[in-house]
Amino acid sequence: MNLLGKKLLRELQYLKGQMLAVAAVVACGISVFVSMSSVKYSLEASREKYYNRYRFADVFLQVKRAPEFYRESVSRIPGVASVNTRIVADVTLDVPGLDEPATGRLISVPEYRTIPVLNDLFIKNGRYIEPGKPEEVVASKPFLEANGLVPGDRISAVINGRKKELVIVGMGLSPEYIYEVQPGAFFPDKRRFGVFWISRTALESALDMSGAFNDLSLTLAHGASEKNVVMRLDNMFRRYGSLGAYGRSEQLSDRFIADEIRQVGIQITFLPAVFLAVAVFLLNIVLRRIVATQRNQIAVLKAMGFSNEEVGLHYLGFALVPTAAGSVAGTLLGAWLGRSLMNIYADFYNFAELVYFFRFKDVALSVLLSFGAALFGAFGAVRGAVQLPPAEAMRPDSPVIYRPGVLDRPSLQKKISVPARIILRNLERRPWKAALSVLMISLAVAILIAGRYTYDAVECMVAVEFNEKHREDVTVVFNDPMPPSVAYSIASLDGVLEHEFYREEPVRMVSGHRTRRQSIKGLQSAEGLQRLVDRNSRQIALPPNGVLLTSTLAGILGVKRGDTVRLEFLQGRQQQREVLVAGTIDEILGLSAYMHIGELNRLAGDGGAFNAAYLRIERTKASGLFSDFKDMPGVGSIMMLKALKESFDELIAESMTTSTLILTSFACVLAFAVVYNGARISLSERARELTSLRVLGMTMGEISFILLGEQALLTLLALPLGFVIGIALSALLSVGLSSELYRLPLVFSAYNFLFAFMVVVLVSAVSALAVRNRLVGLDLVEVLKTRE
Amino acid sequence: MQGEPDIAGVQDAVLKISGLSKTYLMGEVKVEALRHVSIEFFTGELVVLLGASGSGKSTLLNIIGGLDVPSEGKLYFHGREMTAASEAELTAYRRRSIGFVFQFYNLISSLSALENIQLVTDIAESPMQAEEALRLVGLGNRMNHFPAQLSGGEQQRVAIARAVAKRPELLLCDEPTGALDYQTGKLVLEVIEKVNRELGTTTLVITHNASIAGMADRVVRLGSGEVTEDRRNLARLTPSELVW
Repeated sequence: MNLLGKKLLRELQYLKGQMLAVAAVVACGISVFVSMSSVKYSLEASREKYYNRYRFADVFLQVKRAPEFYRESVSRIPGVASVNTRIVADVTLDVPGLDEPATGRLISVPEYRTIPVLNDLFIKNGRYIEPGKPEEVVASKPFLEANGLVPGDRISAVINGRKKELVIVGMGLSPEYIYEVQPGAFFPDKRRFGVFWISRTALESALDMSGAFNDLSLTLAHGASEKNVVMRLDNMFRRYGSLGAYGRSEQLSDRFIADEIRQVGIQITFLPAVFLAVAVFLLNIVLRRIVATQRNQIAVLKAMGFSNEEVGLHYLGFALVPTAAGSVAGTLLGAWLGRSLMNIYADFYNFAELVYFFRFKDVALSVLLSFGAALFGAFGAVRGAVQLPPAEAMRPDSPVIYRPGVLDRPSLQKKISVPARIILRNLERRPWKAALSVLMISLAVAILIAGRYTYDAVECMVAVEFNEKHREDVTVVFNDPMPPSVAYSIASLDGVLEHEFYREEPVRMVSGHRTRRQSIKGLQSAEGLQRLVDRNSRQIALPPNGVLLTSTLAGILGVKRGDTVRLEFLQGRQQQREVLVAGTIDEILGLSAYMHIGELNRLAGDGGAFNAAYLRIERTKASGLFSDFKDMPGVGSIMMLKALKESFDELIAESMTTSTLILTSFACVLAFAVVYNGARISLSERARELTSLRVLGMTMGEISFILLGEQALLTLLALPLGFVIGIALSALLSVGLSSELYRLPLVFSAYNFLFAFMVVVLVSAVSALAVRNRLVGLDLVEVLKTRE
Repeated sequence: MQGEPDIAGVQDAVLKISGLSKTYLMGEVKVEALRHVSIEFFTGELVVLLGASGSGKSTLLNIIGGLDVPSEGKLYFHGREMTAASEAELTAYRRRSIGFVFQFYNLISSLSALENIQLVTDIAESPMQAEEALRLVGLGNRMNHFPAQLSGGEQQRVAIARAVAKRPELLLCDEPTGALDYQTGKLVLEVIEKVNRELGTTTLVITHNASIAGMADRVVRLGSGEVTEDRRNLARLTPSELVW
């Protein structure tokens, strides 16, 4: 190694604390970029692979009941590649070990697996059903795992009013249920909802559906228009109680995955950018200081004949070495982080195979960006070193010139102690550096705030959804609309304290050229068990006339309060009605349209019906009620609010804890790196002054105050700024992460700010202590002899 | 080494040093900076400590100033043994009793002349007014100037004002004219002399410039870590009379 290389290595060794801090910031940036990019790519690739291999359909349609020969008609629609018809039914399950009833979605599959079918099954464990064994089912993996069931176990279901014993023979997964969630719910409840694949023949006979189907899916030929096919399907199946055909973008599971991938994409851009910016800043201030302290050495090197390029490269080394170290560490950390994140995704999403692809392309890109940032940060300082003429470099740097500043007004001056004036003047002298330091520390604060914001938002979501909006214990959803008489029988069940019915009617909403498949919820009231609460926890009244749309739905339809929309009822009499938009409500979850049930009945033009009931029940009589529900005919699904909440909390806890942990650690690295480097540079600039003060009789505490007070002040200024940036960032996140599925409310808990405050103050204190230890080592004698 | 000064006992000894040695380990080489030095300094004296570089004069000053500890021997300040003092006691000693003037002034660049002095007067027990200290060194009209706006001589005078403002019992000046030109150096020496005369502060001036010895009450010469000469001047010259 040449001598300049040796010099570089030894000095890096001497500056290792600062260099490590820079390397850590680079490592954080790279690891986020690499892990998130890998995760995004892995999710996309896994989804792609899964969809292709198991022939996930492109268009879906649910009907009441349609003759099987339509399958042939559909396959003749231009653009349709292959068609699959099925029978799908939601039933009540009696799961061993579970008090309350669970919901099972039965999906028919051919008895013989001879021809490829759409939305095919991946058998994870056990086997496929055998022909001639109507009791056999393949059950979904999450449900089996959550309930501790294995192939060979039995489970009973109420199918079409008859209790039937099902034998689980296999554990399966399907591309349709990567995100497995009960119809009508948003959060998975693995214990109480499962998908079951059962012989078509068995289901046909159990549901009296011979020669008919109620679910159709198809794939499109390359280049075919989804819109056209959807239109043809809607025309063809209108009279069969079609709920309207839709593409993948409205398929719930696909929608969730697509949103997730989009959200990961947002994180790829934002966090690494912050870390790169901080790395640029740190390298800039550190290198400037190195060049300043080595003026003499630069002069000597040049006098000895080293070229400007050699000197320049030597000083660039101070930027490139920590960047290289950070790149290596960041890549390794990123690979590990990506794998851990994929493991979390594996809990959320049920892929047949969730493959983790670690792409060197991402590594190369992030390393390239980091080196670019490092060079950018180092450029100014290194240029200074290169341009310094040797003779000038021999002379000491011109003395620092201070002039009276704004803080020197006599009235102010009396109130500020002399040591405090030293701190303030230093900040005043280089306002840009101070401002940037404040900004960098505030970014750490902002990351903490934004990181915990998602936590707060989800908490608020849970509070609004589970506590304010819903006050029922159980929701019972029927497979078919029920006449009012059924209401009385439910209300009279022993243990039902309060009951409320609603009607959910599938319609197509049309406004101009905009149209949307949507169900309208007809409520009896919005003051009872279900309330209408917006994302700011404001309660909204149910309008007596017209329809109340969620803001997102109103946006999709391009309507506002006072406009009218056309409702095309998809079932029953298939009425078409113009209806007034009575208002909008900014809800957290999904897209909804609300109406008074009386108004809905009138518009539907039938005698009135309901298809679900909210119940508040007496806890002590719950198990009796549950067994009643398990045997009740016509019940499609049962949702337990409390269980749903618990399951959601459990699910969210792990991922939130992990992401909060990652973000908190990264923010700590950021804060530490900025404060520590700031203090180290101050120490290097002011060692002589501080030692003189020690000689003059100041205590360690007094000079520590002068040295660290500056960093403390910067940190204190950074806190409120960080809060503001954090709030702004969270607002951006709330927009970026929101979708048709949910909108994150912009809420912050006091704990969020307190947490950010504590973390940053603590990290600053630790970095300050690390620097303070160096004050102890200052040589009092040396300072008397040397001139800076 | 010459005998004890004959006026011992007539005046109070501010400092009493006996058998002081200091050995440094420079890498693997042992350097004896001071060898069994015994000496006393008396109230109000202006002493010039002469010696070539490496004679041990700076080491002696550092030990007297509480910046360094001897390897052997004792140092008494008003009868109190400082060689046994803790770090905190040494800090308090420097804070209350010692005024330092450095070769390179060591002013705080971000503080004005006045503030540099206030920095010390704020923590001293019964200091003079910072303004008064500046007037004493002839800089009453430069109070609000920052170090970068002052000449070397002016900066050194601020440093002297800073050192004497707390009314120390001992003023230690380490090559106070070392970084200054002839004229300016003389001006600074005049200030030191004035402080000694008007305030009666016991003053030790370290220098390698033998011509300065003329302004002292007493001249102590060090060589190879030992006191090689300790004499009294019959009459003090004023700094303006010095020539070098």
